[in-house]
Formats: sequence, structure tokens, C-alpha cells
Amino acid sequence: MLYKNEMYKERKAKIQAIKNHPYFGFVILTLLMLVVQLLRVVGVDVPITILRAFGLTMIYIIIALGFSILLGYAGLASLGTAGFVGIGTYIVGYFTKNLEVSIFLIILITIVGAIVIGTIVGFISLRIEGMYLAIITLGLSEILNEVFKNAVNITNGTNGLGINGLVLFKNIINIDHNTIFVILAVFMFAIMILTLNIMKSPTGRALLAMRNSSSAAQAMGVSIFKYRLLAFITSSVYAFLGGVFYMSYVSFTIPTSWSLAFSLNILAAVIVGGAQSIYGIVLGTFMIFGLNLAVFQQIPLFIENPAISVVFNGVLIIVVIMFYPGGLIRLVNTISFKLKAKIRIWKQRRREYKYGVDSE
Amino acid sequence: MASILNKIKISWINGRIKSHQTKHDFNSSFLPIRTSYLESIKANKLKILDLKYKNQLLPFEIKAGIKSDFVQKEFDEAKQEIEDKFSWKERAAKQALIRNNAQDTGELENLKIEKNNILASIKDKFYLETPLKTDVEAYESNKKIINEAYHLKVQKIEEKFSSKLAAFVTKINISIESHQIALKLLKTSLSKVEVNVKKEVFDEDIVLKIDNLSMYFGGLKAVDKLSFEVKEGEVFGLIGPNGAGKTTVFNCITRFYKPSDGDIYFKNNLNEIVHLNDIAVHNVIKEGIVRTFQNVEMIWELNIIDNLLVAAHTMYRSGFFGHLFNSRLLRQEEIVMRKKAEKILLDLDLLQYGYQYPLGLPYGILKKIELARTLMINPKLIILDEPAAGLNDAETTGLADTIKKIQKDYQATIFLVEHDMGLVMDICDTVCAISFGQKLAIGTPKEIQSSKVVQEAYLGGE
Repeated sequence: MLYKNEMYKERKAKIQAIKNHPYFGFVILTLLMLVVQLLRVVGVDVPITILRAFGLTMIYIIIALGFSILLGYAGLASLGTAGFVGIGTYIVGYFTKNLEVSIFLIILITIVGAIVIGTIVGFISLRIEGMYLAIITLGLSEILNEVFKNAVNITNGTNGLGINGLVLFKNIINIDHNTIFVILAVFMFAIMILTLNIMKSPTGRALLAMRNSSSAAQAMGVSIFKYRLLAFITSSVYAFLGGVFYMSYVSFTIPTSWSLAFSLNILAAVIVGGAQSIYGIVLGTFMIFGLNLAVFQQIPLFIENPAISVVFNGVLIIVVIMFYPGGLIRLVNTISFKLKAKIRIWKQRRREYKYGVDSE
Repeated sequence: MASILNKIKISWINGRIKSHQTKHDFNSSFLPIRTSYLESIKANKLKILDLKYKNQLLPFEIKAGIKSDFVQKEFDEAKQEIEDKFSWKERAAKQALIRNNAQDTGELENLKIEKNNILASIKDKFYLETPLKTDVEAYESNKKIINEAYHLKVQKIEEKFSSKLAAFVTKINISIESHQIALKLLKTSLSKVEVNVKKEVFDEDIVLKIDNLSMYFGGLKAVDKLSFEVKEGEVFGLIGPNGAGKTTVFNCITRFYKPSDGDIYFKNNLNEIVHLNDIAVHNVIKEGIVRTFQNVEMIWELNIIDNLLVAAHTMYRSGFFGHLFNSRLLRQEEIVMRKKAEKILLDLDLLQYGYQYPLGLPYGILKKIELARTLMINPKLIILDEPAAGLNDAETTGLADTIKKIQKDYQATIFLVEHDMGLVMDICDTVCAISFGQKLAIGTPKEIQSSKVVQEAYLGGE
């Protein structure tokens, strides 16, 4: 009996430890994504649009995670995300179509490119802060957009650039969407873990210190120069990789996709969800992108008037900023907290009904 | 040329010494943590193994009619379980009667009888009066077998853990020793090189020397040729009326302002004399100077322990990629730093706030937490910017006690800029009064109190 009880306690503690592990939620999320894909493989008729919506949302989650390090942790506002993602897509398009370079090499090239661009913008951010930084990055993004439109030799101009497949080792292979979806889910999982590691590490704390008060951060040995640069480089690497994944999944890129609207949508996703929480960002991305892609585009009213979804996003942002400045994740947390309290009270009442009030 | 080379050599050696010192400190503080962790795991495993062994032996014991401690314990446990179960049943029955407004028709009595029956049967199960002879023999033989297996397993666990522990301890000890040897060698080579380099004139017991410091804002002379020295281990107070330039001096020392003229020298943790004018703002803390702020500067999104860890930022050896992949070194460092932060909080009676968020804590507590934060890096000099600003009398006395405690327990020199004369006279060993950027007087608090010049500056002349 004693041994049995002890083993039971031990097992319970183990299960609790797994449940409380910081990566547990990510595993569940990734598995959910994979289940959507698996249903199709098994034979359930999941509409291709829904699947595509989930795939694109995963890509946007990766981009938004990078942006949250910049906005939520370093406290730097940037509107250049679209341009960066665009560069990522065009690097894949150009190197695959014209030079037939392997995708692994392309990822290396994009990371190097992201570090270069991130360093440049990081240097700019040392001199300029707040709204002006947003304007400058917006300008940069628009310049990049003009380049995409006019450098016809590389980008194929406003007609857009398409590829027939990816080069794994030697030849262009057409990899089907289902495989890429699975790879995407795995990548999203890995990037979530890496982001969480950064957020919980001394680096994340240093970024938060910098956001709260730059003088206090400096007094505690945080170099503003180093950490601003680091934040920009990290977020641009995320954005560039997002571009690579986008091009691999969609196989087509066009300059109009990478306009201000995209940057604003990413900003909206991060703010609506909650800039400092990974689950918040997942939630926000689903609200801003996923809902539109998966639900609204199935309803005739929204198909006829695509502007309504933009109005919906606008209203959502206004409501969230007015009532839940910490993002929807805070609302979710509050609701779950209250629900738990309610359940506790309900259990207590049931107990009292059955056994009477405790005499002690 | 040779002197430049020597200087480079000295700075290189000092860098090596610092890195060896941090590694040495880290290893020696990680050793007991890891050891106690391993030992607790081992104790837990042995406890479970012991239970398992006794559990295996239990049926034989019962059959052989042996009344050992474990049988007694098991019996108590089983009894307790049944009693609990029946007490709940009784309560439910009583409540049902109340709920239905019904009369007791013997249900409670039935329950009692049932319980007693079960208890009696359990007693029979556990304590056999007349054991069979074969069962006793079986018990003896089985006990031997099980005992052997148990001892084998215990030995295995002991061996495994002791080898693990021994490997770890020897590894750490070797590295500690190697760091000590390296430190010794480096120090001797340093003393050889240093003979050739002229040293700045610096008395033995002085930590901070400010020499002809001037700071101009446009045409305004905020600080004008100010010089003073801070002795090691004392509490030094800088006072003066509003606009005297106290905060400017303060910001010059911590490198937030670049002084227009003059030199600031500081003797750091390695007893090396540093020209502070050449050091960047964020590197000042590496020399052992740490400051607080007039309005508490907390990181509001982090709890108190994490706030303390931010101050230890320069003590981490793991780099960005270590943080990105949550490397083993980082995890070990986090454990060590967390232990250190908890110890400091315990010392200052703040541990109950450790896992709270700073938002909503009283101002006096936040001030104390800021003081605790300075202790994370083993500071040589703590600079306090108006520590008593915004505190009531009780909080100020508490703060004075804390400052005294820090000076005594952590062997730190404390330099403070303060308006509250009560606090200054209470805790300072030396006070320097300045007015319009110039030194008025320096001495013990009593001397300053009786100084005419100071009184004039504060109350105005004729």
C-alpha cells in the first residue's frame, strides 16, 4: 500500500513536470497543425483553402515572432517587415530559377543577407527612436518595394516571379505541398523554442531592461549598441527566413504582396495577441491572418467585399488597444483564471451538497 | 614604445586574470549546489528502493506471522484508508437524511457494523495467529533472496552516484586548481611587468580619487576643479544645496557625463588602478562600480529575482548562441545566479518578495530591492543617488540599517549623494560638502555640522 502510494505520487509528479514544461504547449500546437494535414492524407476531405490558410499562418507566425522580439522586448518599432520578407522571397526565386542553387545554400545566403541588412538598420536605430524609426524603416521597405517592381531582370517586375519547384541537391524538384507543410510545422516548432530560449535568457532580460530604461540598462552593463543591433539582426533573420518559407510554400511572389499593408498586419497581429507572449502571437496571427484566410474567404459576403475583413481587423485593433493593452492573451489568461475559480467554487458547493459543511 | 607594449601586456594579463577568476568563482559556487542535488536524487531513489524491497517481503512476512514494523505500518495505512472511506460515507448518509428531512432508519448503524466487519477481516489478514511451518521456512529463504537482490541494487545505485559525484568533483577541483595556478602565474608575471611601468600616485587605502574634476554646460560651471578621495570600506556622503553639482559629479563617476576636464581614478577588484575617463558607460560595472537611481528603475515585466539577475548580466560567460540553444553552461549559470540572488534577498529580509512583480510593491521595498540588486556583482564601490528620497522616517531608518549591513557584510565602499541630513549624519564616516561646484569642506559629520562655511552655504550669509 505504502509502496503503491509512493509510486502513484512519483508518477503524478512526472506527468505534472511534463505538463509544466515550457515546450509542452508548442508540441501540442505543432501536433494540431500536423493533424490538419494528416486528415487529408488519411482521406478526409479537408478543403485545400483551409490547409493553405494554416500553412500561411505558420509562416506569418514565424515572422511575427521575430517582430515580437523587436517590439515587445527591445521596444523598437519597425515597419520594414514587408520589405525584408520580400527580399527573402526574391532571393529564393532568383537563385532557384536562374542559378539553380540548392535550397540549403539559399538559406545560408539569406541568413548572411539578413545579418547585413539587420546591421544597417540597427545602426540607424542607434540614432533614431520611436516613431521616427518606424518612418525610416517604412521608407526602407518602400524603397525595396520599388526595387522589386523595377529590377525586372531579377524580379520579373510587377508580373511576379514564380518557380516550378526547389533545388534540393542538383535539379529542380517539385516538392508537393503536403511535405512542405510538415516541414513548415517542424520549423515553426523549432523557431518557437529558440524564441522562448531568447526571451527567458539573459539576452531577453537585457532587452527588457533596455526597453524599460536605457540608463538603468547601461548602469547594469547592457550595451545599448550591441543589443539594438542584436534585436534587429534577429528579427530580420526571422523575416528573411519567413520569406524563404513563403516562396517554398506558395512558389510565387509579387511586389504588391510586400507593401505597407503586410507590415501593418504583422504589427497588428503582434499587438492584438500580446507582444511578449509566444501564445499571444500565435493567437494574434490567427485572428488577423488565419481568420481571414480560413473563414472569411469562404463566406460570399466577404468574397464580394474584401474590404470588410480590413474593417474587422481595424475594429479588433481598436478594441484590443482600448480594453486589453496587454493583448488578447491577457484576456484569455483572465478568463481561464476566473473559470478555474468558478470551477473551484462549483466543486466546493457540490461537496457541501453531498457531505455537508466541514465542521473543523 | 616599450612602455606601450608593457601596458598592452598588463591589460592582457588583467583580462586573463579576470576570466580565470570568474571561472574559478563559478566552479566553486556550482560545486555544492550540484553535489546536494545529486545527493537528494540518490536519497529519493534509495527510499523508493527500500519501500519496494519491504513491499516484496510483505506477503511472506504476513504468512509467517511476523509482526515487523513495516507490517504494522501497512496495517495502519489500510485501517486509515477504510476509516476515511467510511467517515465520508457516514457524512454523506447524514447529509442525505438532513436533505430529505427523513428519519434515521438504521443506515448509520449498518454502516458502523459494516466498517467494523471489514476492519476485523483486515486484522485477520495482516496478523495470522498460527502460521504454518512451511510458510516460515519459505519466508526465511525468500528473505535471503530478496535481501541479496536489494543489497545488490543499493550497491549499484551507490556506486553509480558516487562515481558520478567523484567524476564531477574531481573535474571541478582540477579546473579550480588549474585556475588557481594560472592566477598565481599571471600575478607573478604581472608584478614583473609592472616594475617597468610607472604607477599613478595612489595611496593604499583609497578606492576612488577625483582630481580637478570640471564640468561645463555651455557657460555654466556645474563642477569646478573639484578634488576628493574616497577611502576603502567607508560610507562617503556628498552633500550640498540644490544645484551644487552633486548629481553631475555622480554622473561623471558613472560615465553618464563626459567631464570637461580632470581625472577620475578607481582601484578595481583586482587592485588595478583604472582611469575611469577611458571607460564606456556599460563597462563601468565590470570594474566593480554599481549605482542606483533616484527614482527606482525596475524592469516591470520581470519578477524581483529576475530583476536581480539583470544586474548580474556581465557575469554570464555564455554568449548569444548559448542563450539561443539554452546551453548547459547557461543552465548551470542560471542556477548559480538564482541561488546567489536568493541568498542576497534572504540577507536583506526580502525573500518573501522574490517571486512577486515590482508593480504594486511599496516604494521603500523597491529602494531596498535596488540596493540588493547592486550586490549581485560583488561590488567594490556602490554609488547611491539620493537613497532616502521619497521615503518616510521609518523607511529611512530601515534603509540606514540596510546600508550599514551592506557595508559590514559585503565589504563594499559606499558613496552616496543625499539631501536627508539625518541619514547622512547617521551613517556616513566622511562627508564632503560642495556648493556651486566647489568643495566647501570635508571631514567627519561632526566637523561638517560645526563648519561655518557649510552653514553659510545652506542658510545663506549675512
